[in-house]
Amino acid sequence: MDQQRKHRILMVSDFFYPNFGGVESHIYYLSQCLLKLGHKVVVMTHAYGNRSGVRYVTNGLKVYYVPWRPFLMQNALPTFYGTLPITRTILVREKISIVHGHQAFSTLCHEALMHARTMGYKIIFTDHSLYGFADVGSIHMNKVLQFTLADISQAICVSHTSKENTVLRSGITPERVFVIPNAVDTAMFSPAPNRLSCDEIVIIVVSRLVYRKGADLLVEVIPEVCRLFPNVCFVVGGDGPKRVRLEEMREKYSLQDRVEMLGAVPHSQVRSVLISGHIFLNSSLTEAFCIAILEAASCGLLTVSTRVGGVPEVLPDDMIVLAEPDPGDMVHAIGKAIHMLPNINPHVMHSRMKKLYSWHDVAKRTETVYNCALQSSDENLLQRLPRYLKCGAWAGKLFGLVMIVNFLLWRLLELWQPAESIEEVPDLVLVQNEHEEPMQDFVEARD
Amino acid sequence: MSRGLASNSKYSYNHLNGKGASEAIDVHDITVKKSRLRIFLSYFGAAVFLTATFYLVVLKELCISSIWCILVCFSLAKVLHHKPIKKESVVILPAFGVQLETHYWSGRVIRRFVPISKILKPVLNECVTPVTCHWSLALILRDEDELMLVFQKLQPPVRMLVPVWKALCAASH
Repeated sequence: MDQQRKHRILMVSDFFYPNFGGVESHIYYLSQCLLKLGHKVVVMTHAYGNRSGVRYVTNGLKVYYVPWRPFLMQNALPTFYGTLPITRTILVREKISIVHGHQAFSTLCHEALMHARTMGYKIIFTDHSLYGFADVGSIHMNKVLQFTLADISQAICVSHTSKENTVLRSGITPERVFVIPNAVDTAMFSPAPNRLSCDEIVIIVVSRLVYRKGADLLVEVIPEVCRLFPNVCFVVGGDGPKRVRLEEMREKYSLQDRVEMLGAVPHSQVRSVLISGHIFLNSSLTEAFCIAILEAASCGLLTVSTRVGGVPEVLPDDMIVLAEPDPGDMVHAIGKAIHMLPNINPHVMHSRMKKLYSWHDVAKRTETVYNCALQSSDENLLQRLPRYLKCGAWAGKLFGLVMIVNFLLWRLLELWQPAESIEEVPDLVLVQNEHEEPMQDFVEARD
Repeated sequence: MSRGLASNSKYSYNHLNGKGASEAIDVHDITVKKSRLRIFLSYFGAAVFLTATFYLVVLKELCISSIWCILVCFSLAKVLHHKPIKKESVVILPAFGVQLETHYWSGRVIRRFVPISKILKPVLNECVTPVTCHWSLALILRDEDELMLVFQKLQPPVRMLVPVWKALCAASH
């Protein structure tokens, strides 16, 4: 067992820079830390506006912005087999060994994983969100997930709750699912140098103002807290369809001087918003793992959150106060947090967070998952088909048919454009000179 | 002195370094190999398209299925179409400029000249299309927004592009 073996990883998702979000920053930070460990990482995503083609981000991380137009909610159009040629080209030219897909809601991810599996590569999937079971959208999404995970090498979930959810939705065996929590960039999220005075307590809310994130709960909670605690004021950052309701609440209770609405906060300014407060309030109705509360704890804020999903697994009990997603309970929790506030030391909290969460740790654990995946045996189509047929009476046969057609199309493509004719890309070596700009040394491929 | 450097099934690369005059002129050629199969397939695709169009337009009525047939035959003809290019060459005249030539089988030659002072840097780009990814050699020109492609019609493999790129880099410095 060669534990020091370096892998060549392709990260696939519809969600990447220039969008900023949980999945995007997860892929970015994980890729950067894997690059530091010596592996080669390439990211594949769809084009954003006119940002299309090959781009290099920090430390030589190569990103392919494939020119497929996003069609619904930042997802590329699901054409089933349309992405086979470009996926095959990227896999061959970058000499990839493992394909790692992110987010169940990404069509590009599911398609790329299907094509990679047909071509014999090992695949890994990371699920970032919790989904329901009852409504039509969820039922379809779960069936697609069942298809992708039927033949996966390993899966990763970001919390134990998320693992339970994924296993129930897709029917995958729990032994194949690893739990690797997200982390936070503690260097970027550091507390304010001087402690804020506790005369006026500032509660920060930074989230998208949508139903899923509990904006309706905020509308009930904020006036009640302002009534009970005269020295408390709120700062609400973020935008969304529910912002109108919050503005109405401000007007109705005349809280203009006590509730400040910042609008959409760019990612680079989130820290400066966080360090202006004492308490961070998270009212999400569902959350697999909440990176926002990690960022708040890293900045030295005490967190008040709803006890949903994977949130109880994230922070130790002395850094967070949990409440049921009910306005009365949340007001009570905020009261408790205000009493706890004098005992909180932001810098001590920050140092604890540095030890608890780091992306380097996540990368090392992910590397273990990759090593595990590469040890599984290679199988041909006939050995893999029974796994798809087990997925359901009708669905199983449909999935089997989809895989057979994919296999035939792949063979056809191999005849039309043999793998030898796809040239392999030489690895760019970034050479940093002390006095000059970083140069790129073009290492030639051997014929 | 001529050196045939690399070739694959479709293209062959040639580098001529003539030392006739006092200065050495560098010529890099990428020649398309004449392939009877490709020419046959190109005519076949065109013939299928024309007969299908004629049959469906003249003899039958135009409906959705016939338009669909015409479109399929058209895309087949387009895919099989063989470009009538014989070779593309890059003539580097040191301290003077670079001449980019496209030679067709019919004997027609299209030439473009770029003065050496206008070239900022020659670059090797990876171009991503919805179905594939290929390399191209382009020149970054001063005061221009667009890159100028050195090989406009052909898509030679990167190992043939690298010596041309190095020669252009040496000439433009």
